[in-house]
Amino acid sequence: MVKVRLLQLGALAAVLGLWALIAAIGVVSSTALPGPGSVASALWQLAGSGTFWQAVGDTLRGAVTGLVVAIAVGIPVGLVTGVYAAAEESSRLLMEILRSFPVIALLPVFLLVLGSTPGMKATVVFIACVFPVLLQAQYGARSVPPAVHETVRSYRIPRLLRFRRVVLPGAVPSIMTGLRLAATTSVLVSIGVEVLTTLPGIGHMIMESQQAGASARAYAYIFSAGAIGYSITLLAQFAEHRLLRWRPPVHTGGE
Amino acid sequence: MNRGRVPWKPILRQLWLPALVFAILLVATAGNTSFYFPPLTEVLSTLWSELVHGGLVGDLLYSLRNIVSGLALATVVGVGAGLVIGEIRTLRLATAPLLDFARATPTVGFVPVIILTLGIGSGPKIFLIFLGSLWPILLNTVSGVQAISPAVHETARGYRIPWRLRLRRVILPGALPQILAGIRVSLSIAVVLMVVSEIYGSPVGLGNFILQSGSSFHVAETWAGTILIGILGYGLSVFLLLCEHRLLGWYHQRAPRARPSKPVTIEKSNGVVV
Repeated sequence: MVKVRLLQLGALAAVLGLWALIAAIGVVSSTALPGPGSVASALWQLAGSGTFWQAVGDTLRGAVTGLVVAIAVGIPVGLVTGVYAAAEESSRLLMEILRSFPVIALLPVFLLVLGSTPGMKATVVFIACVFPVLLQAQYGARSVPPAVHETVRSYRIPRLLRFRRVVLPGAVPSIMTGLRLAATTSVLVSIGVEVLTTLPGIGHMIMESQQAGASARAYAYIFSAGAIGYSITLLAQFAEHRLLRWRPPVHTGGE
Repeated sequence: MNRGRVPWKPILRQLWLPALVFAILLVATAGNTSFYFPPLTEVLSTLWSELVHGGLVGDLLYSLRNIVSGLALATVVGVGAGLVIGEIRTLRLATAPLLDFARATPTVGFVPVIILTLGIGSGPKIFLIFLGSLWPILLNTVSGVQAISPAVHETARGYRIPWRLRLRRVILPGALPQILAGIRVSLSIAVVLMVVSEIYGSPVGLGNFILQSGSSFHVAETWAGTILIGILGYGLSVFLLLCEHRLLGWYHQRAPRARPSKPVTIEKSNGVVV
């Protein structure tokens, strides 16, 4: 374990060294790629400033609002459509098309209809997040073994109890995957909307810093966005381990 | 896949709802005088006339070229690096946190930096698409290489199969299902970056088209462009699926029990269309 940590630190040092080298030689202009030193000091300065935390708060507010609504809508709809094969089959193509639609492309339309407001940002986040949650809930509900369904049916277990006690627990692992995806997406979309509009948040600060010629500060903001994304991933993994201790690990890809 | 026979029943079962929704939209917006939601017929006719007489084809081709170039670059680099990292255990352990961090960083944040410093040409846009698409492909390739059963490795090594042949004949096919899943995830990220980079700063492209028409209040054009972006994204994902069927025919035809594990299309990456 210690050895692995050392290896990882070594790799990090190597990447930082390479970055410093590229910045020092001047292959890329310092406005496009400032050195690690200046970015680190910019980060340090930002961490003590109110504007930075304000921006982080604005981004997270939009992301969390959209995400919460997406979860509230996506899980029930996904479970119900997952249990009834007919519902899943009829909605499949529609879901496919809607899911593969780049929500950010709706931005010009939303700007017209809703204007440049925090509510608009949360709406875009909601639309982007509802599909991963919904599809994963659907997938989870479908993964309940047929034998279990047969048993439930022969014991005449009422529908609501069945949802609460059979379908939901069975679908939890795959719902967790959906939540993890949606959580990362929510931050990504929130920042994307800020980059393209005048709404406050990390995305907007990146743009402002870069336009003011403070590219080190722009990078510092990008890294803080990365840190948020990374913490979400770690948190989600931790929550998954805690929640799913009662069952063997499921394969959700890449793990 | 059973060729020759068209499976009408499932097709009907899957088509009735989308068709119904489309019909409802047509009827509901038909007499619409609302400024923001013009009749669907008008939007579709705008789309047609813009494609045939307007400059929309040029925008479409520009966007398509950027996205294909960026994805192709990301595939070459991602698969190459992924095979190496997947094969060498030390390297894999060392780079894991770095790669996770890179994947968790929202590439859209780089859009202002890259475009403001490198300009509004298509080069910086291709670079952005490449940067965003790289990580899912890379990480999926790594886990695809890891998923190959050790017995296969042992056999290849036992027979002293030269590494180049081993890479081409053993590792690459073994990791292919995962690699393709990664490319599919990357496609959705690529579409997003394509749109964002064109809205942010571009004289051409579909993103620029919807931005311009939106800010000059040509709402039907904005909707038409938005629909076209959707069609482009969907068309590319269908194209990828077809490629997958061609490439993985051998894989999908095997008995389910003989498969090591299903390739997972549901990824733990940001494989979501934004």
